[in-house]
Amino acid sequence: MTEQYRSRFRTLTDGSDAPPGADHHIFIGPQHPWAEEPAHFIIHLKGERVVEADIRIGFNLRGIEKAMENKTWRQNTMLIPRACGICSAVHQNVYVRLAEKLAGIEDQISERAKLIRMFSLEAERVHSHILWYGILAHDAGFDTMLHITWRDREIILDIVEDFSGNRVNPALMLIGGVKRDIPKEKADRAQPMLDKLIKQVEYHKKVFTEEASIRNRLENVGILTKEDAKKVTPNGPTGRGSGLPFDVRKATPYELYDKIDWNLVYYNEGDILATTLVRLDETLESLQICKQILDRLESTQGELLVRVKQRIPEGSYFARGEAPRGEDVHYGIANGTDTPERYKIRAPSLGNIDATLKRMDGEYVADMPVILRSYDPCFSCTNRVMIINEVTGEKMILNQDEFARKAIKAKKYNRPFF
Amino acid sequence: MSDVLKELEGILNVTLPGNLVEGAIKVEEGHFDIMCNVTNAFELMKILREDAGIYFLSTISGVEKDDEFNVCYHIQHRIEDEFKEVPINFIITKIDKNKPKTPSMLEFFVAADYYEREIYDFYGIYFENHPFLQRLILPERWPDDVKPMRKEYGWEQIKEITMKITKEGLEEAKQ
Repeated sequence: MTEQYRSRFRTLTDGSDAPPGADHHIFIGPQHPWAEEPAHFIIHLKGERVVEADIRIGFNLRGIEKAMENKTWRQNTMLIPRACGICSAVHQNVYVRLAEKLAGIEDQISERAKLIRMFSLEAERVHSHILWYGILAHDAGFDTMLHITWRDREIILDIVEDFSGNRVNPALMLIGGVKRDIPKEKADRAQPMLDKLIKQVEYHKKVFTEEASIRNRLENVGILTKEDAKKVTPNGPTGRGSGLPFDVRKATPYELYDKIDWNLVYYNEGDILATTLVRLDETLESLQICKQILDRLESTQGELLVRVKQRIPEGSYFARGEAPRGEDVHYGIANGTDTPERYKIRAPSLGNIDATLKRMDGEYVADMPVILRSYDPCFSCTNRVMIINEVTGEKMILNQDEFARKAIKAKKYNRPFF
Repeated sequence: MSDVLKELEGILNVTLPGNLVEGAIKVEEGHFDIMCNVTNAFELMKILREDAGIYFLSTISGVEKDDEFNVCYHIQHRIEDEFKEVPINFIITKIDKNKPKTPSMLEFFVAADYYEREIYDFYGIYFENHPFLQRLILPERWPDDVKPMRKEYGWEQIKEITMKITKEGLEEAKQ
């Protein structure tokens, strides 16, 4: 059974450690043009076929769990979204639900606050999925699709920016409710944009299913059968592509997911195309949920923020949420003071690595980029800064190019930024 | 949801001999807490895996109490026809602080590999019968005797060690 445990890293120092039959070894990472995140893969080959693949992780330990034990529950609300660059809202959502349950105020959260939270979560899922299948197309050598998807992704990012002030990290949630309201004029502005995006995502789906050059790169590649999936236990879209129909939003409903009309998406094929289709269909479902939420917001009123005490009473709770990549798990223990006793975070990607390595067995080395991408690594794309003059209070919003140009000029002529 | 809970409670009550469970099963709203100790944990997990058919392990967390360590296995009972999951917290209590040792559950869950090695890194809890209990997450230069998530190491101390090993690495790279 030991061949199933894939996190064992073969050192290959004297050659005796290589798996039987392998004649070549390819090392990828930790710094590699393919990967945005530091992970080290080693792929053992026989000819062009993969015999075994290993992974080594832990190049970027930031110690968030330890840091959380040294900050108050309220401070942690703004630390927790930094656990992940792109699924920041879901980490914050699971955290605030956990703290509310421990504080005993989970029944007092108004329906309007819950709807605003759900909009933030679904918008995040939409932009994360579009980003992922864009990069997947890029890895498969289909760069046109990358440009099309990323152009359309700006629509949802504009909506998120309109609602929250930030593109990727909306940080709308607080313990006890939400920070900002979604006024009617903003919701009205967003509706036609969502309609436009739905049309575009339908077009993306058409390209992935009908365009032969991309479909052939994904179909019957890296198959993970349901039996294998039950052993290596992938979560989220990776599992739903292999016929495990589990989504935390359906399995243990939170917020108002049981009161909104939506369908669970799953496929039984288990190849990369199935995971892609799961994400494409989910994007459409999420957009449909976003539209429902905006409709319901018009008729729903309620207090946005409930008063919470600084000290959280003793207890422990295990909260879960469905992140774009899968199941996000938090376990918190409170000791009656204003800081957590212990806080454990399990982000979804760690649970999916086993399944990804299992997919590689017996595949061609040319399919590696696509299979490695299937576990959805992520990076932040916040490239704008706001500069404030301390003396006059004057504000300036710049993008990366403008900022660079201004900085070079300021350095060259030795003059202040403003 | 309550039907599901009752059903699972039935399974557990029939299959779990009374002497195995330490503090009885505590049922909260949508949650099971199963408390057990080091000696009977393996047997109990075997029943859960083989009789109740639980195959999904979400994660494992290590917890430090005043005079003992706890290891908590967060497992899911899955009902495929209804798309439902029931989260279960399987807590191994009373792990000795001087010689922390607990059985490895790698035989039942492949995913336990990463999580157990993470706890071995952070708390120094030794998982018996784990075939290759090696460092997973901490840096290569990290001192072996420092277990960073234990309460005895404060935030400042961890920062100092991090700076020290970073400097060592940079100096070695210059040579």
